[in-house]
Amino acid sequence: MKEFQRIGEMEYEYNADIGLSYASPVRGVWNIVHIGTLVPQAHQIYVCPTSCLRGVVLTTAEMGAMDRLSTITVGEDNILDGDMEEALQRGTERIIEALPERPRAMLIYTSCIHHFLAVNYQRVYRVLRETYPDIDFIDCYMDPIMRRTAPAVPSLWRQIHRLLTPTQPRRDQANLVGNCFRYGENCDLTALLTGAGVRVLDLNTCKTYDEFLTMAASPVNFTFHRTAVSAAKDMQVRLGQAWISMRPGYAYDEIDADLRTAAAFFGIEPPSPEEIAHQRAETERAVERTRALLGDTPVSVDYTAVDRPLELALYLLEHGFAVESVFVDVFTEDRAVFEALQTRAPGLKIYQSLGWNIRRMERGHPGKLVAIGQKSAYFNNTDFFVNIVENDGMYGYRGIRRLMALLAEASEAEKPMRELVQIKGWGCGCP
Amino acid sequence: MKRDYQTHVFTSTYTADVSGVCSALYELGGMSVLHDPSGCNSTYSTHDEPRWFDTDSLMYVSGLDEITAVMGDDAVLIRDVVAAARDLNPRFITLCGASIPHIIAFDFRGVAYLIERECGIPVLPVPTDGLKSYVSGVGLALTAWLERFADPAEFAAAPDNAVNLVGVTPLDFSINDNVRMLRAAFADAGFAVNCCMAMGDSFETMTHAFRARVNVVVSSAGRRAARWMKKQCGIPMVEGLPIGAAQTDALLGAVRATLSDGKDRAAWGEFGNTGRYTVPEGGILVIGEEVFAKSLANAINLLPAERRSGLTACPLWPDVDEGMPEEELIAAMRTARTVIADPLYRVVLRPRDGVQFIPFPHEAYSGRIFRAELPAFAGPDFSVEQLLSGR
Repeated sequence: MKEFQRIGEMEYEYNADIGLSYASPVRGVWNIVHIGTLVPQAHQIYVCPTSCLRGVVLTTAEMGAMDRLSTITVGEDNILDGDMEEALQRGTERIIEALPERPRAMLIYTSCIHHFLAVNYQRVYRVLRETYPDIDFIDCYMDPIMRRTAPAVPSLWRQIHRLLTPTQPRRDQANLVGNCFRYGENCDLTALLTGAGVRVLDLNTCKTYDEFLTMAASPVNFTFHRTAVSAAKDMQVRLGQAWISMRPGYAYDEIDADLRTAAAFFGIEPPSPEEIAHQRAETERAVERTRALLGDTPVSVDYTAVDRPLELALYLLEHGFAVESVFVDVFTEDRAVFEALQTRAPGLKIYQSLGWNIRRMERGHPGKLVAIGQKSAYFNNTDFFVNIVENDGMYGYRGIRRLMALLAEASEAEKPMRELVQIKGWGCGCP
Repeated sequence: MKRDYQTHVFTSTYTADVSGVCSALYELGGMSVLHDPSGCNSTYSTHDEPRWFDTDSLMYVSGLDEITAVMGDDAVLIRDVVAAARDLNPRFITLCGASIPHIIAFDFRGVAYLIERECGIPVLPVPTDGLKSYVSGVGLALTAWLERFADPAEFAAAPDNAVNLVGVTPLDFSINDNVRMLRAAFADAGFAVNCCMAMGDSFETMTHAFRARVNVVVSSAGRRAARWMKKQCGIPMVEGLPIGAAQTDALLGAVRATLSDGKDRAAWGEFGNTGRYTVPEGGILVIGEEVFAKSLANAINLLPAERRSGLTACPLWPDVDEGMPEEELIAAMRTARTVIADPLYRVVLRPRDGVQFIPFPHEAYSGRIFRAELPAFAGPDFSVEQLLSGR
């Protein structure tokens, strides 16, 4: 088995999550601890065996946020005695009493083992809510055994937003949901909304718990990532908030259509034809500048950097870039994009980043290669790379132009790849 | 009410048995398979394995999912391991597991047998459960490996001055100069280091593990393997670490005595007392892995009283099952005069406690965070007095 396949020879139904799994040293993508820490004035409790606790505790320690997390270990005696509920309740009570400040909310994560032992944790939460009415308790899950049916990250985004309760709606604000990074100056949606006087709220910019709670008053939730879908659907039902999915791709017509949908919701003016033409022209110029700079330098893309690596590869190929490979473990993009790539670049290499054979891959590349994303940088062993994860707040024409600027910068200046890619949760405030 | 060892409001956790397994066998050319849904492998490779980036040793997670677990379908694991083994051709395969295999009574031995029959590569079943500390995992792994590949009959031909160093992993010794210095401490004293289990030794060297007269248990993680070897051929053990000149002399003296009379010993005196020490108020508290903590405490107590401010050092170490119960830990730390421990313990102390804290990073506790600050403590040249001065 080779480390890569040519896209021209592949099936659309590709998923590398089969067989033994390898974990590369690349650690930039956020995990549930990083995401949970976004909730201001909240405290996280992880309830699981030692082997599971180790990762979350040291993630937190590396963030310098140990004051935001406590743990309750599941031991052999809990399994044998069947007292998981008591341990959870007693431990949470002790944590609350011992913390120097009362948290506004507690995110309590149970794990795989609780499912298998049928632990009645909802009863514990009910007791805790009655005992501590000033604290909002929310059940969260670190249960990778459910990853094929209920993956942990989408579940967490949903549970975090369950802290919001129905309130009087305000027509002048909107939520961006499910983002690790701020969608600001590199986002066309933010530009559209703020330009029309709509207040944009996102968990990752909330400074206080009260500010976060005001998200309940927004009439609409915008999402960019697939991992936010569960939260948006849940809020649709519970809070009656509308949901508009913004496709985080590179097709100009899709961008325009999504922005029109957003504008229509608020009854504001969508980007005019002149504005669209201006944005497109400016974007094309930025792309051409970067393309000229890179010339024939090979480019590699990976799924940790952008949500739509195949679409980005196609976009870059259509604009004359020498895209050589994509690192992706499952195809989640439209079949049309996949087929377009098969036609345009059948020799494009598709690498899976978690297959067992890639552990023994000869990491490196003959000559210079510029990577978009940490995994492609690591496996190609290049210091010329765009160091971003999860789109880094880029959307629309502004997002594409920002990406081009980063790509140009990456092509010209080396970065210490070895050090950077091993930092957990890139951009979360880790040293 | 039950004793609460589970709740940790402020403090971290020692790494688990599964990381211990992978760490112990990392350099021996095998393939470690962790039967678990996900997460343990990235935790190990990120926080517990400093060799991960620069080497291509094989360690994978099985990716157990709920249907496979509920149905008890071990054929999935067998198929996946065999497929990988055929591509990668490791010298051996190690099969360990975390909490879900444990509670569904996964048959480690049976599945190991079936995989081995299928691919013809030796498979070591190591029945970890993800609930215990790395000390358990290292011990189980080394023992399973020796049981399979080493020949107790070789003990009869062991050279008179040959010793093994048992329980050596980066979890306790990191990848700074400690292991080299550890070997040197024995070599310089005229001993031949037969095996350093298991850093810096090859598969072949390890197969001759019984060609030694004494097992020096340098971490409690090596205790189980040493006990097993003793059971096989009577090879005696000495527990202790050479930390500073006096403690190194004490350890080497104990090894010489054991070479002479074949009795088990500990460098701090009484052998076999693994129970808790009573932590006196106002002393120097050394927190860490058991052999390390006892050795460093002994090294301090071997100093003349005036060079340790008249204080006595005592060790405190985590239990394999229960870790370091936080309430007991807090009580001990806040009544000490000086605490020597991993920097992540510092959070327990308040300014009003007036306790001097001397950081001593331990990879099995804080992972990679303080790796650059981890001292090379093995051998006679380490200055215990300088450590106490906080410099």
